[in-house]
Amino acid sequence: MAEAVAAGDAPADSARPLMPAIAWRNLWRNRRRTWLSAGAVAFAVGLTGFAMSMQAGMYGTQIDSATAFFAGHVQLKRQDYIDRSRFEHTIDDVTTLVRDLESRPGVVAVAPRVEAFALASVDDRSFGAQVLGVDLERERRTVRFFNRVAEGRMAEQPGEVVVGSALARNLSVNVGGEVVVLGAGKEGGVAAMAATVTGIFNTGMADFDRSLMVAPMAAVQEAFGLGDEAHTLVARIADVDDSREVAAALNADLPPGVVARSWQAALPEISQAIEVDALGGVLVYAIIMLVVAFSVVNTFIMTIFERTQEFGMLRAIGMRPGTIMGMLQIEAFFIWLLGIGLALAVAGPVVFWLSVQGFYLGEAMSELAGQQLFLPDRLHAKVNAVVLLTSPLIMLAGVQIAALIPSLRIRRLRAVLALRAE
Amino acid sequence: MSDVSVGNGVVVDCAGVSRTYQEDAVPVHALRGVDFQFARGDFVSLSGPSGSGKSTLLNLIGGLDRADAGTIAVDGVAVNALSESELSDLRLHKIGFVFQSYNLIPVLSAQENVEFIMQLQGVAPGERAERAVESLASLGIGELAHRRPGELSGGQQQRVAIARAIVTHPVLLLADEPSANLDSGTTEELLKLLRRLNDDRGISILTATHDPMVMGYAKRRVVLRDGAIVEDSAN
Repeated sequence: MAEAVAAGDAPADSARPLMPAIAWRNLWRNRRRTWLSAGAVAFAVGLTGFAMSMQAGMYGTQIDSATAFFAGHVQLKRQDYIDRSRFEHTIDDVTTLVRDLESRPGVVAVAPRVEAFALASVDDRSFGAQVLGVDLERERRTVRFFNRVAEGRMAEQPGEVVVGSALARNLSVNVGGEVVVLGAGKEGGVAAMAATVTGIFNTGMADFDRSLMVAPMAAVQEAFGLGDEAHTLVARIADVDDSREVAAALNADLPPGVVARSWQAALPEISQAIEVDALGGVLVYAIIMLVVAFSVVNTFIMTIFERTQEFGMLRAIGMRPGTIMGMLQIEAFFIWLLGIGLALAVAGPVVFWLSVQGFYLGEAMSELAGQQLFLPDRLHAKVNAVVLLTSPLIMLAGVQIAALIPSLRIRRLRAVLALRAE
Repeated sequence: MSDVSVGNGVVVDCAGVSRTYQEDAVPVHALRGVDFQFARGDFVSLSGPSGSGKSTLLNLIGGLDRADAGTIAVDGVAVNALSESELSDLRLHKIGFVFQSYNLIPVLSAQENVEFIMQLQGVAPGERAERAVESLASLGIGELAHRRPGELSGGQQQRVAIARAIVTHPVLLLADEPSANLDSGTTEELLKLLRRLNDDRGISILTATHDPMVMGYAKRRVVLRDGAIVEDSAN
């Protein structure tokens, strides 16, 4: 009967490496434990992946509201204006520079701004205000702030101005009312401007609503004794994620004294708030993954305990400890792979749905977001390489280390004793 | 001590081998200065009561344990001087093991179990499959090649274990109580098989056993008592 199987009559799959096959089949010696471990991996990866995608979406919206709403993705100012905020520290020959900047790679639109501080008066009421001179057409291509006002319309002609809601209330002025602005011109003379209020904006942000008034740039330049000058150029770029790179590229060729700053540098409070929030998230994710890693450690402690005799046999027939540990590492990898598969099956569709449909903020939040911050009424999950790869790769490292820790015992395993293990 | 002449080359040469274990801080002298030589092509049974030192001697020769004193050479290699890695290589390339409880890898088929050891040796996949099939067929279990250990009887599992042990063409086959879990009929079949391997292929076999039937099939019988050889005779 034995001779029925002739020498060389090997099955077709005999060339398959045995180590992965052993590792894979070993997983199913205790199905429940394998599924529990893989489920824990799936839970950690799915939960952190879901949370990270929502975080990324939220940060994207937050960054968008902070940059595309008013501040721009990249800002250009004179360095001495950044340091001391002196009115006379203006960028010269702005018209040419703006055209030049809009031709640079990655730059979509550029808007110049004149920023003056003055006393705004209506009858006998006077309040300090920041007068912003803007090129409305360019601003509308660059940021969203100038697309609409809560009441009235934008200031489009010389002699027109829009004011923040709190400032309008303080000045007791409505649309159609007249405001007189008095300040100091560039050369030290008195700057004066009288304008009709055409609109009132209400952003919900105190700094804007309480002190900002916006007028056409030419009128502000004339009133404050400026030529073809501006204090700030704000730029919209093709991809906000590239703001650092674009700012660096712009800095390579700018007029002396002018610097381009990414939104992270121009708005450090936003950037830092995101970093702090992200750090909090990282800590939570780390705790989740640590707990899961401990469950994997437990799995492998049990595995090694149950298979001590087998490992003794493997040592006896000449398998080195490192090879046995390698086999356990493959088993850990397969557990991770199963977990990733589960996570993709369960969390993947949810994240995909949230990235397409978004998460409705609710009526009250939607009104706030839509009317005041010009944000959409839904937060969308954002899936990118960081979201897709970070938690699976960290979990992979965690699982492999978790499997390695108990398997280090195999290095000290004495075959002669292990073979006697029950 | 020994009345057996060592012709045809020495596979195992033990001189003054001692091994003492500490059990609850009490020294247990498992072997006391044992001198033992084992010729190529021989079939030796080590017997004696429990605790006599037969398994200890087998483990020392197999490089699974280290002697406290004396020297052990396997196929001319001084086992005492080898590092753990070198001992692993010695076991992998020169020694075949057959255990009391078969110790097959439960998730692998019979053929894969036999192939596995050749994979450790770095044998090419095609060749190892061919040799595994051949080895199983020569032991009469070729048709069981694709069954896993759980699907085999004790005797069949032990044959797979033997196939695994001999497929690498070791200089020495060590069998520790190979018949302990088998009934007498299966034991006899197994012993005939071992004897055939010894007679036909010249495989050197050293087995530790309590079983008189095993002793009967061996060509030489060595009896240990209290860690010393008390009888060494040809069958």
